[in-house]
Amino acid sequence: MICTFRPVLGVLASFSLLAMAGAQDSASKPAATSLAPVEAPAAPATPAQVTLVEAAEVTLIKAAAKLAPEDLASATQTDALTIPTPGELMAALNKHGKPDWSAQMRPPIATNFTSRAQMALNLGGLIADGYLAVEAEDAQQVKNIGRDIMAIAKPLGVQQDILNRGKSLTDFADQNQWDVLKEELEATQNEVKAAMAENKDQDLVMLVTLGGWVRGTEVISGYVAKRYTEGGAKLLRQPAIVRFLSQRVNVLPDKMRDDPSVKKARVKLLELEQAVNFPRDTTPTAEIVGKINALAAEMARDIAKKEAK
Amino acid sequence: MKILSLILAGVLASTTTPVGLGVSDDEVTARKTALDLAGAFSNDGFKIRDGSWIGQFATGKASVIQVNLYAGNEYWFTLGTTPGAKKVNISVFDETGEPVEYEPYAQGSTAAAGFAPEASGPYYIRVEELEGEPSSFCLLYSYK
Repeated sequence: MICTFRPVLGVLASFSLLAMAGAQDSASKPAATSLAPVEAPAAPATPAQVTLVEAAEVTLIKAAAKLAPEDLASATQTDALTIPTPGELMAALNKHGKPDWSAQMRPPIATNFTSRAQMALNLGGLIADGYLAVEAEDAQQVKNIGRDIMAIAKPLGVQQDILNRGKSLTDFADQNQWDVLKEELEATQNEVKAAMAENKDQDLVMLVTLGGWVRGTEVISGYVAKRYTEGGAKLLRQPAIVRFLSQRVNVLPDKMRDDPSVKKARVKLLELEQAVNFPRDTTPTAEIVGKINALAAEMARDIAKKEAK
Repeated sequence: MKILSLILAGVLASTTTPVGLGVSDDEVTARKTALDLAGAFSNDGFKIRDGSWIGQFATGKASVIQVNLYAGNEYWFTLGTTPGAKKVNISVFDETGEPVEYEPYAQGSTAAAGFAPEASGPYYIRVEELEGEPSSFCLLYSYK
């Protein structure tokens, strides 16, 4: 049974939602995330009083009306929340067995690029490598990758901003605090992006995200290609992510868009967009998974390849 | 101090408030409220995303954000607001805009929605203020 939480005022909370002038439909049914109503306390709860309980039944509700097409069209998309971390994808694959994550690691990449765009792409890739090392519970790899992140961050002018993060990665790795490390990696990435924005390098932010997504997709598709399962294959359905990344990359300034590493990535991204855009109720075949992996792997190789002068 | 810098870093990472253009006290408050609630899930193995979506409720109008979720994972979306908000709500929709079932929680200026997608892909999260004064909000999510 999967344990979830019920806030201490859960019953009242649900009732108040259900009473919203018919705004919600409700259903009470056994759920994967099972929990039970909890007696309401006499005094109002503060967030700190939220507690976790396990129970057999959960009340689920849903909104009464569909979102209007204009709501879908105007929905916010943010780099910080719309794009999942590589760690989320890996967490989902963990539900389909116990992947040998260490087999998905790659040899160290160069860290002395001359193009800032390529540095940003590789910074994202390294952060994805960090998630992989955490899943593999390989402390030495986490530390090595942390060092490489710092090495690339320096010429980008954001090293000072993440010095403490680099130390934290090492400390947490030494203490085998794997769950904390996942949050630390995302925080590192966000601090890098915030520093880039402060340095008027906003355009690099999207390239960090793109580099991370490509490497994460390469890792997952590589694993599923070798050990095909329907559940694993369905995880590769990511049409909105690729569309979001494509749109953002296509509006980069000409100079950055024409950077050789970005140029190649844009071409491959178009092909990947087709490959990961299968219907919700369709399971991609092993052949399609192999194709996704080949595209993502080629893209990751291009990103990490030092251009000959 | 470290907590404050973490909060600020996360706030800066949101794109509703343009990155690097400064963060209001209200936005920091909303994020802290959301983090306080989301912290309860951490005890159960949920990892809190560092990124957040910060904005202001428009009178009588809900705000919607697209997220991308993976089947097999469980998610909690957590909404924190400034104290002026008296009742807020979160709801979840699939990629076609159809409502999907979720586990609700609402308490004053906070709300949360628990959701376990059966299919990977884009989903939409709607946040709205049902009662109260104009307020800032912050949406976070946790996964496991």
